[in-house]
Amino acid sequence: MSYTPIQLLENWILRQASDAGQAWLDTQREAVASGDPKSLYLAFGFAPRKIGKADLELTERDLNDAAESRPGWQPQTWTIDQAARVLLLMSLPSEDDAAYLATIEKLFQTAEIREQICLYQALQLLPHQELFDDRLAEGIRTNIKTVFCAIAHCNPLPMELMSEPAWNQMVLKALFIGAALDPIEGLDQRVNPELARMLIDFAHERRAAKRPIPVELWRVAAPFADEIALEDMKALYTSGENLEKSAIALALVSTALDEADEILKTDPEVAKRAESGDITWRGIAEQAYASEN
Amino acid sequence: MKFIDPHIHVTSRTTDDYEAMAAAGVAAIIEPAFWLGQPRTNVGSFQDYFSSLVGFEKFRAAQFGIRHYCTIGLNSKEANNEALAEQVMELMPLFLAKENVVAVGEIGFDDMTAAEEKYLRIQLEMAKEVNLPILIHTPHRNKKQGTYRSMDIIEEHEIPPHMVVIDHNNEETCEEVLRRGYWTAFTIYPKTKMGNERMVEVVKKYGAERIIIDSSADWGVSDPLAVPKTGNLMLERGIPKEHVELTCYKNALAAYGQSGQFEESDWLSPEPIDQRSLFEGNSVLRGGQTPRVDKPEDDRIIQ
Ligand SMILES: [Zn+2]
Repeated sequence: MSYTPIQLLENWILRQASDAGQAWLDTQREAVASGDPKSLYLAFGFAPRKIGKADLELTERDLNDAAESRPGWQPQTWTIDQAARVLLLMSLPSEDDAAYLATIEKLFQTAEIREQICLYQALQLLPHQELFDDRLAEGIRTNIKTVFCAIAHCNPLPMELMSEPAWNQMVLKALFIGAALDPIEGLDQRVNPELARMLIDFAHERRAAKRPIPVELWRVAAPFADEIALEDMKALYTSGENLEKSAIALALVSTALDEADEILKTDPEVAKRAESGDITWRGIAEQAYASEN
Repeated sequence: MKFIDPHIHVTSRTTDDYEAMAAAGVAAIIEPAFWLGQPRTNVGSFQDYFSSLVGFEKFRAAQFGIRHYCTIGLNSKEANNEALAEQVMELMPLFLAKENVVAVGEIGFDDMTAAEEKYLRIQLEMAKEVNLPILIHTPHRNKKQGTYRSMDIIEEHEIPPHMVVIDHNNEETCEEVLRRGYWTAFTIYPKTKMGNERMVEVVKKYGAERIIIDSSADWGVSDPLAVPKTGNLMLERGIPKEHVELTCYKNALAAYGQSGQFEESDWLSPEPIDQRSLFEGNSVLRGGQTPRVDKPEDDRIIQ
């Protein structure tokens, strides 16, 4: 049988929380359901103190249930206070769009970092998601990487809601701040010529400055590779490090360009590994960001 | 030696200051909400200021290996704009429960007006409601009266003195503040509040119990290294190391630790790496490592 996100969150909290924490949460959810924003604001703030900050202990099955109840939902990095906060948000009456938006916006505007992370991940489960596209676009302007990642990574909302300019900014900024592209949901579905052009310019600029080019860039740029991109890829494919070569090979393999074959021929060994599925974007991302974990 | 600067307005300081503070041993700081020099004219300014204290400034400090905490409150000067003060009171519940908020403050008197007293009392009650310590700012003018009056009011509200830090003391006020059982803080702020040679004498005379030293460094001519400088001067002038540790570290920890949000383990043995709360560049700061400061070897080259 399948569950709703509320049921799943309740079950997960029930498994881990103390009786006192659980009782506190039940009382607060009732208060919030009565429609008083002040009770939401205070309970939202106090949740970590009352219910703890432990990681949610989720099994493979829990994660499958999550994805079934809300496609794209990947709560593997969630904590128990985050789950509690989302339940509080879900208790807030939502019939009146404007009032609902105003209350949630107030929380966004006054949130500290962990709260922002929680709120941006929570939106995917809340009603009126369509009202929050500007909020997402605003969120990716942050200077704080973890907040950026709460929007960009393991979150189906950008793919579902963001306009093309906002989406493109998000992908480009991820590369700028050293956030992986692989965990962005819908990355390959939402490639577009404008995004590819920005990435190709960026790569060219970096090469001119003798600065490293993030290897995942080629995944998004290659489908629209122009002459400049092909020239850069060719040069890097000959001279680059292993990871860079692997990425370029994989990117070239995915295109149907004649020039791609020419470039791949210069190192058939790597090309073969890319064609055989030996190299994957997940693997490349993991290696590229290995030192951060 | 490790130091805590429990009263510094780093929002006004540069990253050079953060680097110097970390190098001098400052492990944790508390930034009390105060005024920005120019009065705020609408509640949005307060909201954004409070948000920066609980969010971006905490993040920025972490990048330099310094744990940042703050206090939230409506300062005395701005309490005199009553229409605005009312709106700030409504805003405070959104901030008092934030994770790095260790007290209500800095609140108290500036001109000693009726409005200042009104919002002092309201905020004392708020602190009681959420069980947070209180940081009291004492006035520059009419200091003695302002300090005593603040304590009288706190006592009327039946707040125990161990929950209250009275700051900006001097040789004239400290005896009474100590006698009444409060945490007695001194601001080492050049030319005005307290110099550190005078501070050495105060500790020689009164000992180290319940005495706290801070810099209050802000947008004025002030010194973000005031706490380590004073600590080192005290050692040089023969004050026992235990007393230096109490006044420059442990007393602040005990006072603000009562919030439940200010623990030594936060900076001595940080939680295991947590990808959700990891700040950018913070991974190098785990396990007591020295912060990474990406300085080019040759200062003339800009990479
Ligand atoms: Zn101050």
